[in-house]
Amino acid sequence: MKDTISLFFAYAKLGLKTRFQYKVDTIVTSFAVFFRESAGIIAMYLALLKFDTINNWNIDELIFLFSLIFITYGIFIVFFMALRDFSDWIKHGDFDRVMLRPRGLLTQLLLCGADWMAAFGHGTLGVLLFLFSANRVGIEWNFATALYYIVIVISGVLIQGAIFLIFSSISIYVVETQSLKELFYWNMRKFAIYPLSIYNKFIQSILIFVIPFAFVNYFPAQFFLRKDDMSAYPEFFMYLSPIVGTVLYVIAYAFWKFSLRYYKSTGN
Amino acid sequence: MSQTIIDVRNICKTFKIHKRGTGFKGAVSNVFHPRYEYKKAVNDISFNIREGEMVGFIGPNGAGKSTTVKMLSGILYPDSGSINVAGYIPHRQRKQYVANIGVVFGQKSQISWDLSPLDSYELIRHIYKIPPTLYKQNLERFTELLDMGGFINQPVRQLSLGQRMRADIAASLLHSPKIVFFDEPTIGIDVVGKDKIRKFIKTLNQTDNITMIFTTHDMQDIEKTCDRLIIIDDGKKLYDGSLEGVKRNYVSSRIIEVELEDSHTEFDIPNVTISDANNSKMKKIISFDAEKVSINYVMSELINNHSVRDISIKEPEIDAIIRDIYEGRIVMR
Repeated sequence: MKDTISLFFAYAKLGLKTRFQYKVDTIVTSFAVFFRESAGIIAMYLALLKFDTINNWNIDELIFLFSLIFITYGIFIVFFMALRDFSDWIKHGDFDRVMLRPRGLLTQLLLCGADWMAAFGHGTLGVLLFLFSANRVGIEWNFATALYYIVIVISGVLIQGAIFLIFSSISIYVVETQSLKELFYWNMRKFAIYPLSIYNKFIQSILIFVIPFAFVNYFPAQFFLRKDDMSAYPEFFMYLSPIVGTVLYVIAYAFWKFSLRYYKSTGN
Repeated sequence: MSQTIIDVRNICKTFKIHKRGTGFKGAVSNVFHPRYEYKKAVNDISFNIREGEMVGFIGPNGAGKSTTVKMLSGILYPDSGSINVAGYIPHRQRKQYVANIGVVFGQKSQISWDLSPLDSYELIRHIYKIPPTLYKQNLERFTELLDMGGFINQPVRQLSLGQRMRADIAASLLHSPKIVFFDEPTIGIDVVGKDKIRKFIKTLNQTDNITMIFTTHDMQDIEKTCDRLIIIDDGKKLYDGSLEGVKRNYVSSRIIEVELEDSHTEFDIPNVTISDANNSKMKKIISFDAEKVSINYVMSELINNHSVRDISIKEPEIDAIIRDIYEGRIVMR
């Protein structure tokens, strides 16, 4: 464990050193991510000035819902960048190099490739939104609620990590998975910005059972907010995120392990 | 006699290749009826390599060299057959096994483009858990042997290809591997750079008793470094033995170069090919198969019937031999 952490810092040191070879680009990238994502929130804010609420969720509650997406993504991208871009790793033969090193494959992939600038951009935005909304939505913060918040953030990271681990496993067979990611991750993420209850049954089922983004932000947020629209779903869904995260990750990991056998290195 | 360290028996590897139709119609039918072709990249290859040996792997592009090296280094699973390297089964015991090997890809650097070699070495030290004293000792030794003192702190993007390659070779050796695979380590490098690399590899093989496998297209690499040669073509092993053996056993063609007093001489020797040398009208190149026509006979014909100013017998270049083997003009016995 200690050794794994020290390896993480060795990778991080090198990654940051690389980024700071291009100081201007690095700073601009962080700000670009920050402003690009902020624009979405500003658009939502302006829309709400007209409607006041969406399905009885006011702006503060929506921002709380939104902040979970950014915070989990900010952490996700520290560990899962190599899996997010895994097609490229295969195409460029970088995965061969990973296989030639005496460490676990997934250990190396998870530790080595932090996208620090995106992490900084998304993370900062997430934390700002959280700080802005956390008190205004009337959450009573005590040890138990704070602990559960940490648990759901970890679960959210795990769910998204598992989704990308599945994409990466598919990459082993077909190499390019860009459109799959577009369809099943980025589009679902856009849906997850708003409360689940505003969508029709079909989209809701996908967000609950197929790409369980609802367990990244909607159901955990309901634990804190207890809005009326939760009555449409079983109450235990509010507590299910850690289980969904763990089970999905275990399934993804088994699929990954199985798929490695079929890895065909690209030619020179 | 040292021990066998690499034992490869009857390995095969087949790749499924998606066959694409041409034009729009082909592209559409492709989606609904994908057609596949099976290519045997490696077809029943076996060999043994002893500890401390240095073996050259050659073969034309797509012959199966890289696939073989990838199976030996644990990246690919063989479809059938068995591989045992230093007591490990590479693809099954990857994590423990790769700590014992080093791999240098001439076309794929393992050191970070934006950082100095030293930065990358630090990371490698962490990954391989190299003890500090060994790391320091190896680093100092390779810096000196590979003459890297001048650029070890410079970003890799500013290095020449030869320097980058040397830095890459050092990176693969920092953990003191028992076996090193070089996959085209001299590709694209100038004569001086190639020479430095070959000398270093040769030295290391002799002093440290490291087992080395060397794939290349450059026959000079093989001539200057390897004692043993394995020729692969079309997934099959064509030859396994010494470099001299190739010349002796597979090549019976000889070339005689003569310089004559008179440029208008007519020759009348059966079963030989005569051509003009490109630099002088007085010079002729006579090539023939030493099995069909004896050297003795050709020589005496020349000396008895013509006024010869100079004469020399040449063996064909190894490059030419290999080319003939690839193209099937020389049949393996």
